[in-house]
Amino acid sequence: MTAIALGASHVWKSYGRVQANRDITLAVAPAEIHAIVGENGAGKSTLMRILQGIERPDRGHVIVNDQKTEFSGPAEALACGIGMVHQEFMLAPDLSLLENLVLGDEPVRGRGGPLARIDWAAAEAQGRELADRIGIEVDWHRRSGSAPVHIQQFVEIIRLLRRGTRILILDEPTAVLAPQQVNELFDLLRRIRADGTTILFISHKIREVTALADRVTVIRQGATVFSAALTETSADEIASHIVDGTPPPRAASERGAPGDGVLEVRGLSALSVEKSRQLRDISFTVRAGEIVGLAGVAGNGQVELMEALFGLIRSTGSVHLNGTDLSGLRPDRRRAAGIGFISADRGQEGLALAASIEDNVIAGSQRQPPIGKGWWLSRRALRRVALDRLGRLSVRYGAARDKVSSLSGGNQQRVVFARETAGTPPLLLVSQPTRGVDLNGIAAIHAILLDFRARGGAVLLASEELDELQILSDRILVMVDGRIAGELAADADRGEIGRMMVMEGAA
Amino acid sequence: MIEQIAAAAILLTTPILMAAMGGLVNRQGGIVNIALEAKMLIGAYVAVVVSSASGSWMLAVLAAALVGTVIGWLFSLTITRLGANMIIAGLGLNVLAAGALGFVMTILYGSSGTLRLPDTVLLPRLLPEGVSQIPLIGRMLAGLDPLTVLAWVSVAALPFLLGSTRIGLWIRATGNAAQVVRSVGLRPALVQDVSTAFAGFFSGLAGAHLALYSIGIFNEGLTAGRGFIALAAFYFGRNRPWPTAAACLLFGILDAAQIRMQTVGLPPRLMGALPYLMVLAILVLTQMRSLRRAK
Repeated sequence: MTAIALGASHVWKSYGRVQANRDITLAVAPAEIHAIVGENGAGKSTLMRILQGIERPDRGHVIVNDQKTEFSGPAEALACGIGMVHQEFMLAPDLSLLENLVLGDEPVRGRGGPLARIDWAAAEAQGRELADRIGIEVDWHRRSGSAPVHIQQFVEIIRLLRRGTRILILDEPTAVLAPQQVNELFDLLRRIRADGTTILFISHKIREVTALADRVTVIRQGATVFSAALTETSADEIASHIVDGTPPPRAASERGAPGDGVLEVRGLSALSVEKSRQLRDISFTVRAGEIVGLAGVAGNGQVELMEALFGLIRSTGSVHLNGTDLSGLRPDRRRAAGIGFISADRGQEGLALAASIEDNVIAGSQRQPPIGKGWWLSRRALRRVALDRLGRLSVRYGAARDKVSSLSGGNQQRVVFARETAGTPPLLLVSQPTRGVDLNGIAAIHAILLDFRARGGAVLLASEELDELQILSDRILVMVDGRIAGELAADADRGEIGRMMVMEGAA
Repeated sequence: MIEQIAAAAILLTTPILMAAMGGLVNRQGGIVNIALEAKMLIGAYVAVVVSSASGSWMLAVLAAALVGTVIGWLFSLTITRLGANMIIAGLGLNVLAAGALGFVMTILYGSSGTLRLPDTVLLPRLLPEGVSQIPLIGRMLAGLDPLTVLAWVSVAALPFLLGSTRIGLWIRATGNAAQVVRSVGLRPALVQDVSTAFAGFFSGLAGAHLALYSIGIFNEGLTAGRGFIALAAFYFGRNRPWPTAAACLLFGILDAAQIRMQTVGLPPRLMGALPYLMVLAILVLTQMRSLRRAK
């Protein structure tokens, strides 16, 4: 009887001066669902890379089926039956689901070789059989990129099972799913477990760990700090181990009485360009001193709505800011009118990663005095303004001249907020503000948003974290298929929000 | 008149069609090959030289295809292994091929521009002369050569090769998402090398057809941008073999028509530009249409 299906014994790994893993020990029993939790940068990814044979540990070793194992590379780990579902799915979007299923291990009639004819009938039969076994239905001839995101995930899992995976590693599998889809995924994982497959899943959502896992291991600063069966621990105890013994600071959430309408949107529509979601007849108001949450499964028009409001994509209908008509204006004009914009894509749109912290935090203010003087920039004024802005939001950094990419995710996001709130605009458009930010950073960013609201600012907040929306928002709008499907109170039942998110037509 | 244009159109289509089929596979594999022109030109040169030296059209064709394949493979290595930008590398190869051939001709043959060698054997005609008596298509049939047949066979075979063979699936997957191909244990760089070598093979054949169909003379301006027309053709055909072939045939018909029109006394330079202008106009129109559809 095997005791450990997959494990690590005193694993150390460093990258240059960074000690990513220090003495990690992990034991996953066969047919167990084992959760690994920890903050960003705690060393979870490094451990996963070691377990998959992508990296070799400096010291210690991996255990597979009770045996000490040294992988020469990822192919060997795959041969040992270890397979991983990544956060970004490994499906070619323009191929069909069936083509993706068999890619790299195609059933052929007769002899093999690259020119062998693929036996599509056999491929489809195999796909159907596997799908039946784990209780899902798949339209195998659908283009992968247009299949619902949870189906893509299921197909990826089926692909691994088909290729003999007995130990399945999932990296934050629920990040892109709606609550209902999360439930479906969990049901599926339980059925796979019943089939004898061992499951290791990485998460930072304690709620999911307690719902699904048999056992949990907490990693902090590269070391295992806690491991227990779920029956012997509690959500609070797990949380306290994630952040150094104390529960994570939670932003106080006091809601005042909202004032007058700041942002008035009436009949906003935008056509689909390339692969974007069409916006259909959207109307709502955001008042002063109010945070309005925007919930929805990823890809239902939240990004497009934010872009339309900021003038990044063309739209029809009317947008008024404090009574001023913004329709048809370009982003710079809208910014000047008083909109701050926090993009969901911090690395591409929020910051110029290769530029310095000071340049990033003053960007947009370089034309006006005191920084801009005719053709010239005043470096001294620039430095002064930058330090002032960075100080106001207590960004932690080495030198203002350092590249912004040297900061942690939370501090990078604070730089973005420092820039966007500098001119105290009446309205902030905020998307996924805490994506890739650790728990302490999340608390700081929430505090910034609440402070902005307390000073009478209006915020439209799109987030895929329902918890975040419920903590921060005064009310929540749910987007489905490019329209507002409904409005709910911030303390509405999660199930109800979830049901609304997957109403007809949802992707 | 129509008969003659049809016969000429088919033979003028062949080199473009071959280069386009190679480039199409290459592009499905994720490489935009703008060096089809260079490989055609080199293929044409090799074909003329080998044909004259060996007296065998078949050896000449094989040599052209082989040289095209090798150059395609080397070209691919600069992109997939050395990380060269595919457009810059392609541009470089086009310039290099033209320059090197001019140099070689001056050094070896002391001729500038045109190379005329003795005893050059042309491509044979497949059907007996008698078939030209058949009305309408007779002249066309009589003109058929092995490479033209091969070109159209490849058009018919490619949908199957790309759609239902393992290598076809690998090529499409590589062009679509190389990291996915890597994650399932295949080597996307190797798959791309194969697809670029394939493009080189067909470009070499295209060059051989240009040189050995009717004149057996190599000329520095022989390809006259046909490699780029092929590029336009598979863009127009969205990488699907039959629509791409249709685009190639259209150019062939326009080219044949303009040659006829020159004989009726219209200004030859202007007429010669006509097929290229038409291709430009069609590309603009189709692009406008697809933009409108996207909205």
